[in-house]
Formats: sequence, C-alpha cells, structure tokens
Amino acid sequence: MPWPRSGRYATGVNDRGEVTERAAEAYRALADLAETVEDEWQYVTDLVDAYLPSIRALAEADGGRAPTAAQIEAVDEAIAEIGLIADPHRAIDWLSTFPHVVGLALRGDVDRPAGDGPFGEPAATEPDEDSPFRILQGYR
Amino acid sequence: MRFQDAAKDARAVVYAGIQADPLVARAAALLEEGTAAERLLARAAMNGERTDPETWRRVFPSLLGEGSDEGRRAHAEAVLAASLEVAERGEAARSQYRGAVVEELTARLLARRTGPDAPVRRERRVLFDGVRAEIHPYDVTVESATRPEVYDCKWGARGINADVLNQLDDARAHAADEEVGLRVAIVVFDARRSCELRLVRSTAEHGGTRLVALESLDELGEAKS
Repeated sequence: MPWPRSGRYATGVNDRGEVTERAAEAYRALADLAETVEDEWQYVTDLVDAYLPSIRALAEADGGRAPTAAQIEAVDEAIAEIGLIADPHRAIDWLSTFPHVVGLALRGDVDRPAGDGPFGEPAATEPDEDSPFRILQGYR
Repeated sequence: MRFQDAAKDARAVVYAGIQADPLVARAAALLEEGTAAERLLARAAMNGERTDPETWRRVFPSLLGEGSDEGRRAHAEAVLAASLEVAERGEAARSQYRGAVVEELTARLLARRTGPDAPVRRERRVLFDGVRAEIHPYDVTVESATRPEVYDCKWGARGINADVLNQLDDARAHAADEEVGLRVAIVVFDARRSCELRLVRSTAEHGGTRLVALESLDELGEAKS
C-alpha cells in the first residue's frame, strides 16, 4: 500500500534534516582538524561561527522540499571527501569550500547568516539580485 | 609612477615555467567561460583528496549529472578534467599551479575590456618617485596611462594578509600623491563570505582596495568594473 502523501512529505523533511545534520557534524570535525593550525585559530573560529548555522539552516532551504537521491548522495560524497583530509591547512581551505558545495547540492544559501530575517526567521527564499548565492546557483 | 618588469630570481624562473605550462592556459580558458558553480567545482577538485572523476560527478550532480543541460555539462566535464590534472601534479606543485591558474584567469578576464592603450601585463612592479620599490611584483597589471590598475591574486581567502593589503594600499596612496588614480584590487578564488570574514579581522588599511571573489570574477571583464 503506498504511503499517504503527508507521510512521504514528512520523510522527505526528515531526509533534508538528517543530511544537513550529517554535513554539520562533518564540518565540525573538519574544524577540529583545522584548529590545530594555531596561527589561524581566529579565522577558523570565524568560519565555523559563520557557516555552521548556515549549513544547519539548509534543512529549511528550497522550500523544505525533500532532497532527491542525487542531492543526498552529493552531500554524502562531499562529507566523505572532507573526511579524508589529514592536512590541517587543507582543512582550512575546505572550511570555506564545503558549505558552498553543500549549499549548491541542496539549493540553499550559505552566504547569509542563518535566521537573519527581521524576527529571526530563516532567510528569505529569494535573496538579493547580487547575492553570491544567486550567482552560484546560476540565476544571473 | 611607472611600471617595470620584476627581477627574475631563481624562484621566479621556476614559477615562470609553471605559468607557461599549457595546462594553466587551458584551465584558465575554461574557467573564463565558466559559471560561478563551475568555478566552485574547480576549486573543490583542484584541492581535493580524490582524483577520480566519478566522485566529483556525484558531488556536483547539478553540473555533471544526467539531468543537467548537455552543453553546459560538456563544459563542466572539461573544467573537471583540467582541475583533476592540476590536482594530480602532486602536493607541492599543485598549489603553484592553482595560483598560476587564478592569475591567468584574472589576466584573461581583464583583457576582455582593455585594448592596446591599456595592456594587461604580468609580474610587474610599480615605481614611484622618491619611494623605495616594493620587493614583490603585482601578479597582474593594467597599464593604462590614465586609469592604471594593479591586482594581487590569491587561491584562497587565507592568502589575504596584512602584507598584501598594505602593499596594495601603499601603492594606491603613492599614486594619489602623484595625482594618479591607481585602482588596486585583490582577486581571490574563494567565496566572498570567507574573504569578508578574513578582511574584517585585518587591521591593515584596505578601504580603498577592491575585493573580487569567486562569485564575481566576471566583473573583471565588465566595462564598469
């Protein structure tokens, strides 16, 4: 018997939440490695403070639509890639790259603070015309 | 104020060999025609641990997957192939290749809007009357008599540091002393947000230095830039 539509939606929402949480955990682990470069501790901290909430906010991106299998696979492959990194200097490079790779896969914006709406709600789904997100997604 | 070729020390000679590698020109040409997402793909693959293309096709399904536009997919595949060639040059060499690609890409984009009266040059110093010359040359210059420009190119936001920012701002200020409007910029093949996080902590003067990040590289070739 097929699942009711509401049941499929709930599963899709859970999939989005789960995959973004996996990405957030992997990002935190990458930051732990990067933090071993003492001279760059502040920059690493700034990157994590900026991007970690934005990665988590991807759970609400793209209208909360259930991610496709290809989208989930993309995020999991990106997680696998950063899991292979042993060099802390390369980890710093990926602290900047990984959020955008995940954002591109899940069609979400990691360029703005999470919950930056006037009442702390998730960022608007239609970013500014010149936002890096729109450019990256190919809107212009 | 005038431009001058940088002295070629041993390190510069080795680097010149990398700059002249056809792979650098091929990668830069592909990225010149690339989208911002393809440039993100290049950044990831050139800095990746794995060099099998299948992995990257899975990471970037919107560019390289079955559902993507066929023409764009072919271009993204070419970007991926060139990027993986850079990645396969080995740990020590690939950082130099990546830097050379960013410089070549910057030069190509600038050349879109410049002509014979404003040649785009590489590895040039800027000399000012009564000012000791900087040791490090600028990666790319636009040598217009009326609107000269200098660019420092970086692979990642982490390359933004006080030395670079001070050199660029000093050049701008010295040019202003000679009543020349020198435009100075730092080109970073990295996300704008990451660059801004780096800049906000910098105590070096950079108010007059323009940031060109990965998402806005095409602005280099636009007339208004």
